[in-house]
Amino acid sequence: MSSLEHYARAFERLPASARTDARRGALSRLLELGLPTTAHEDWKYTDLSSVHELAPDGGDIDGEAPARLDADADGVDALNAAFAGGGLQLDVPAGSHRAEIIVAGGNGHRRHHVRLGRGAQARLRLDVQPHAAFQTVVLDIELDAGAQLTMLRLQDAGADARHLTRVRARLGRDTTLDLSTVDLGGRLSRHDLVVDLAEPGAQVHLRGLFVASGDGHIDNHTRFDHRAPHGTSRETVRGLARDAARGVFNGKIVVHPGAQKTDSEQRVANLILSPKAEINAKPELEIYADDVKCAHGATFGQLDLTALFYLRSRGLPEADARALLTLAFAMEPLRAIPDADFRREAIGRVSAHLGASIEEMS
Amino acid sequence: MNEQTHMLDIDNLHAKVEDKDILKGLSLSLRPGEVHAIMGPNGSGKSTLAHVLAGREGYTVTQGGVKFRGQDLLAMEPEERAAAGVFLGFQYPVEIPGVTNLYFLKAALNAQRKSRGEKELDAADFLAYVKQRVKQMQMDPKMLHRGVNEGFSGGEKKRNEILQMLVLQPSMMILDETDSGLDIDALKVVADGINAMRGPTTATLLVTHYQRLLDHVQPDRVHVLADGRIVKSGGPELARELEEKGYAWLQPQKAA
Repeated sequence: MSSLEHYARAFERLPASARTDARRGALSRLLELGLPTTAHEDWKYTDLSSVHELAPDGGDIDGEAPARLDADADGVDALNAAFAGGGLQLDVPAGSHRAEIIVAGGNGHRRHHVRLGRGAQARLRLDVQPHAAFQTVVLDIELDAGAQLTMLRLQDAGADARHLTRVRARLGRDTTLDLSTVDLGGRLSRHDLVVDLAEPGAQVHLRGLFVASGDGHIDNHTRFDHRAPHGTSRETVRGLARDAARGVFNGKIVVHPGAQKTDSEQRVANLILSPKAEINAKPELEIYADDVKCAHGATFGQLDLTALFYLRSRGLPEADARALLTLAFAMEPLRAIPDADFRREAIGRVSAHLGASIEEMS
Repeated sequence: MNEQTHMLDIDNLHAKVEDKDILKGLSLSLRPGEVHAIMGPNGSGKSTLAHVLAGREGYTVTQGGVKFRGQDLLAMEPEERAAAGVFLGFQYPVEIPGVTNLYFLKAALNAQRKSRGEKELDAADFLAYVKQRVKQMQMDPKMLHRGVNEGFSGGEKKRNEILQMLVLQPSMMILDETDSGLDIDALKVVADGINAMRGPTTATLLVTHYQRLLDHVQPDRVHVLADGRIVKSGGPELARELEEKGYAWLQPQKAA
C-alpha cells in the first residue's frame, strides 16, 4: 500500500537504538496489513483514511518498549508496536494495595502494561494526549486471582485530535475490573475494549458515556469473552450526539462453551439531539452455553417530551429544561462510579463540557 | 359576573387531540378564593382540560378561549403560565432520574422569580424554606437528595406534587386526580396541603373521579363534565349525589 510508505520513511528517522528487530517486524506487518478500512465489519463506520495521510507522531521513543505482536494483530496493533514509546510498566505485587491513582499517559504512540498479582488492588487512569494529531495507545492488563483494578479512561481532547486506544484485559479467577470511560472530544476517537473473563468468577463492570459534538466522531467497540463459569459482566453505556457529530457503539458479548452460570447485562441508551447527528449502536450476543443469564437492551431517542413539559410547567424555560434533561441523561452512568475520586472527576469534566453548573445536582 | 373579578375564565372551549374532538364547548369561571371540583366519567375530557390549561403540546384549541386574570392564557408558554401563577398537579408525575428534588425545586422557583423580576433565593435560605414544607407534607427530608420522583410510590409522587405547589406558591391550582392512588393518611396530608393554599387570592380547580377528596377539601362549586361539556353544576351536595348514583343518570337520553 503506497499510502503507508510514509510510515516506512518515518521509521527510518527513528533513533538507531529504537529501530529494533521487533519494531522492524511490526513495521513489515503494518505495511503488509495496512490500517483497517470501512470494508472491515468492525470499522464499518470509522474511516481511517484521513489517518493514512498523517505521519505518525513518534514522541519520545526510548527503545525499551515492548513490541510483542500477537498472531491476530491488525494494522493498528502493528502500527503501535512499530512506533510506541515506553509506557507505564506496572507490576503490583501480590496482596499489595496501591492507594494513589496511577496514571498511564504520555505523548506519541504508547504501549502500557499493567499486571496485578494475586489479591492486589490498584486505581489506574488512562490518559490520551488531548491535542495529538494522531496517537495510538495500547494497554494490556493482566489480573491474577482475586485482584481488583478500578480504572478511568477520560478523553476530553481538542477538536482536531485523533486517537485510537485499545485496552485488552485478561481476568483471572475471582478478579474484578471496574472501568469507567468518558469520551467528550476529538475529531476521530476510536476505543476498543477487549476483556477476556478467562477464569471462573471474574467480573467486569463498564460504565461508559460519549458525547459527540461538532463534526467529531466517537467510536467505542467492546468485546467481553466469557470463557469460564460464574463470570459476571455489566455494561451501561450512554451516548449523546449533537450538531453533525457521529457516535458508534458496538458491544459484543460472547459466552463460550462451558461458561455456565454466566451473568451478563448490557444496557445502551442513546440520545440524538440534532437532525444532523447520528448514532450507530449495536449489541451483539453470541451464546454457546445453556445455563446463562444474558440481558441486553438498546434505545435511541430524543429528549422525553413529557419530562420536558413537566419541567416547563414548573417554570423552567425550555432551553434550561432541555439542558437539564440532557445533563441528567449523561450523568446516569457516572453517578454509579463506585470510586469517589473517579466519580468526582468524571462528573466534573462532563458538566464542564456540557456547560452546566451542577454542584447541587448530585 | 364581571369578568374583571374572575381569576380563570374558560369560554366555550373546544379542543382536540390528533383528530378527535375532546372538549366541545366548555365554559367555567373561577373567582379568587374559590375551590371548584370537576367530576365526570373516564373519557369525559377532564385531563384534557387540565393539560390545555397548563399548555401541553399535542392539544389543539379549535374554538373559544381561556383568560387568566384577564390575560390570554392560551397564548402563553408553559413556563410563562407557571411564572404567572398557574400550577398543574399531574395525574402521573414524571420521574427524572439524575435531577434531585432539591435542585429541581430551587431551579423552578428561581426561574419563576427571575421571570417576575424578583430576587433569586440563595441556597441556604432556600433549604430552610423547602425543609419546612417537606415537614408539612410529612415527607422524609432525604427525598430532597433523590431524583425527581425516582422510585417513588404512587402516593409519594402525589405528595411531591403538593410539595412543589407549596414551594412555588401559585395562585391558580389545577389538580388533576391528585387524590387517586392515595391511602387515607396520604389523602389527608394532601388535602391539608391543598387547604393550606386556600385564601382570598388563590383559586383551585380539583379534577377528580371520586368524591372522597371533597370530604376533606370542601368545594364551593361542583361541575359535572360529560362528553366535553359541563352538563350540571351545583354545590358540594352534587358530589355526594354523584357518589351515590354514579354518572349514568346524567347522560343525555338516547333517542328511542
